[in-house]
Amino acid sequence: MISMQLAVAGIAIGSVYALIALGIVLIYKASGVVNFAQGGYVMCGAYVTYALLQAGLSPFIAIPLGILLLGLLGSATEYFVLRPMLRAPVVAVMMVTLGILITMRGVVLFFYGSDTQPFPRVFPTGLMSFGGVMITSNYLIAATASVLLVVAFIIFYQRTTLGLMQRASADNNKAALAIGIHVSNQINLAWFLSSALAGFGGILLATLNGVHDSLADIGLIAFPVIVLGGLSSLGGALLAGILLGLLESFTNGMLAPTLEMWLRAHTKIYSVGAIQQVIPYAVLVLVLFGRPQGIFGKRGAERV
Amino acid sequence: MTLQVTGVSLSFGGIKAVSDISFTVHPGQIVALIGPNGAGKTSLINSIAGSYVPEAGTIQWKEHRLEGRAPHTIVSYGVSRTFQNVATLHDLTVLDLVKLGVGPKLAANPALTLLGWSSVRGQEQHFRQTLTTEVLTPLGLADQADQPIQTLSYGSRKIVDLARALASRPSLLLLDEPVAGLSASEAQHVASTIHGIREKFGTTVLMVEHKMDVVMGISDRIVVMASGKKIFEGLPAEVQRDQEVRRVYLGETQ
Amino acid sequence: MKRYLPYLLFIAALAITPFLDRFVQSLVYNFAIAAMAALAVNIMIGFAGQITFAAGALIGVGAYAGGLLGNAGLDVVSLLGAGLVTAAISVFIGLPALRLRGLYFAMSTLAAQFILEYLFKNVDPVTNGLSGLLIEPPKFFGIAIDTEFRTAIAALILLLLVWLACRNLTQSQLGRAFLVMRESEIVAKGMGINVPQTKFWCFALTGFLMGIAGAMLGFSTHIANPEAFGISLSVDYVAMMIIGGLGSLTGSLIGAAFITLMPEIIQRIGEHLHLGSRIFAVREIIFGALIMLFLIFEPRGIVALFSSLKGNNQTPGASTAK
Repeated sequence: MISMQLAVAGIAIGSVYALIALGIVLIYKASGVVNFAQGGYVMCGAYVTYALLQAGLSPFIAIPLGILLLGLLGSATEYFVLRPMLRAPVVAVMMVTLGILITMRGVVLFFYGSDTQPFPRVFPTGLMSFGGVMITSNYLIAATASVLLVVAFIIFYQRTTLGLMQRASADNNKAALAIGIHVSNQINLAWFLSSALAGFGGILLATLNGVHDSLADIGLIAFPVIVLGGLSSLGGALLAGILLGLLESFTNGMLAPTLEMWLRAHTKIYSVGAIQQVIPYAVLVLVLFGRPQGIFGKRGAERV
Repeated sequence: MTLQVTGVSLSFGGIKAVSDISFTVHPGQIVALIGPNGAGKTSLINSIAGSYVPEAGTIQWKEHRLEGRAPHTIVSYGVSRTFQNVATLHDLTVLDLVKLGVGPKLAANPALTLLGWSSVRGQEQHFRQTLTTEVLTPLGLADQADQPIQTLSYGSRKIVDLARALASRPSLLLLDEPVAGLSASEAQHVASTIHGIREKFGTTVLMVEHKMDVVMGISDRIVVMASGKKIFEGLPAEVQRDQEVRRVYLGETQ
Repeated sequence: MKRYLPYLLFIAALAITPFLDRFVQSLVYNFAIAAMAALAVNIMIGFAGQITFAAGALIGVGAYAGGLLGNAGLDVVSLLGAGLVTAAISVFIGLPALRLRGLYFAMSTLAAQFILEYLFKNVDPVTNGLSGLLIEPPKFFGIAIDTEFRTAIAALILLLLVWLACRNLTQSQLGRAFLVMRESEIVAKGMGINVPQTKFWCFALTGFLMGIAGAMLGFSTHIANPEAFGISLSVDYVAMMIIGGLGSLTGSLIGAAFITLMPEIIQRIGEHLHLGSRIFAVREIIFGALIMLFLIFEPRGIVALFSSLKGNNQTPGASTAK
């Protein structure tokens, strides 16, 4: 039964990872930029919505408005920061997203400090039981919402005209231009969608653990997810997110206690600390050694 | 000192770029590889230089088998190449790049580089002198030795790339469109330099080139490729006479 | 004249240091230590084009190794030992890079950063875990480095040595190979540069220098604390290079000076503005904003600003790595 419990917890957290990783993949596909600031948008989503709720708005207004504002923040970032760097080398663009992240965190710390703010209760709390598996309802809501959103998003991307235009400009921007797709608008849209997704993820995480600037760190956890899933595969991001969530959950619940017991018996180490947090990175290293294009990614050819 | 290409094939994602090519370049010969775009000429050069690994066939240079070897190993056998499109190498001066052409071995032990005993001053000074007299001056680059490559014209950059390839005093030189994009006078200068190098050092040369006056002027033999296959091999005069070549390559209709 | 300028500056710094108060002396060694590490990181990222997020952890490895060796009573050998240990770990981290390029390599260094950080926190028998490893003042050639003054002098001398090493390196055949590799590994291979071997030396040599900087950092703070070697330290060094000038040794020094002095300046101004605990936040905002502004408007950093003021546009050190 404990393993079922761990599985549910793993899927819940993993689906939030997938949501955030999806945003990174989206921007990467549209513009070839790896967005190190994704975690910053997650954090901002939580704080912006928190501020709206503090201002007295009802959650039914504050949450959609928070997501919309985050989308606009993403659009604005693309317009004012990324667009002037169109001709800059990819490395410089990656670094600039790092600058965005640092600034965002500074702004949040300036206004709210580094104390955890309790996020108002927006979802019903309480334990639910499914055939003996206990889960808190906000976990369940977070997981269901993320999975639904990720799946809906993949359908949007694959089936709708706008999704088709996104894919066309991602695949070949010159060809897309030639058939009348406004590529820079598509890139802007990708930033909008990606930040809105991140904002939503931030709200979900805030309902679970409160509002804190360390929410930005989840952007870094998303990187093992996208490498595992293959940088440009939306479905890969979903699978890899859930896989890493499960891994984290089982490490925490089963591997860590066992390992700790063994270490106490045989060494002077008494605690394995937050081992579940480094496991994704250990997996990342192994994946990079064995299959650099990711588990679900395709290998690209090089030309001289 | 013979380059022998036997039955080399190479494909990309199901498309045959090179199929069953065989030819021989004898010591001290200049052989030109011609053919329409997409004929597989550059792929063949890349296979010889080690950038690509052919699926079938052998490439023999002197007593060495080249197919599947790392490019730096092939360089150590006295083979060097130029590139069709020269990279924009920021921060490097002309002399810097030419020094790199000499090969990596000169840097003694890199750990000692930190201490500066072997590398800096003395050796660098020695480099400058020998490379200036042996490579830069003959190619007319001596005045530009300390200029950053990025400030040079496209034509000059191609000549610098040739200088880099010559710095290791190769016995086999692979040239990928050495005069493409050069002005007529620059092209003439490069062509006579290539010819001069062969005369002076007996260097064996395999070159891909489109400019027919250069090809006809300095090649001893010509190999014609189309769609990955060899369609003709012979003396320049024979190539000019051949109907098939004229049709495929020179674009003539009967 | 220009050739001797660095030496003159160095002698001037040595000569002034005794007359500074202890706080300013501590700024001197903080700068010198940051500059050493910044030089190493710049060689790795700015010259060789290997984007690393593991600098913080590698400096940490140097601090722990130097501390352990110093505590064991080893003289100046503890510095060299720290360098060698860090070089070995740097090469180990770099192993994936023998196959990977660009983004994927950056990811593997990110992973290494977190894994090392985790080990610092949890391998108590070696690192003393979360409470940190106490480091006694070391002895260099029999002289105890136990005052701000002595630490500053030792750090300045080390900085000169590291700077000379980096200058030698960048002017050598290996340094030139770094530059070509940065632009394109495919071109580098085509030219006959042994790319895996070049990368190996890049990781080993920069790791060695980061280890020495880390050891000196540990000796100056008397503690190696896992919190100090987190991802934010890695990011600080990336920022230092962008602000100072990617691919420029002088830029590393400017970036290090900037990052050492900026918090002090903000602190001074902040006292009037009553920023209180928000100083850290202000530092982050300025930092992030500068990274963005420089990358958008002057990607070659402060160094390029200086030389364009002098009307000289041929600064060595363009940040235009691919």
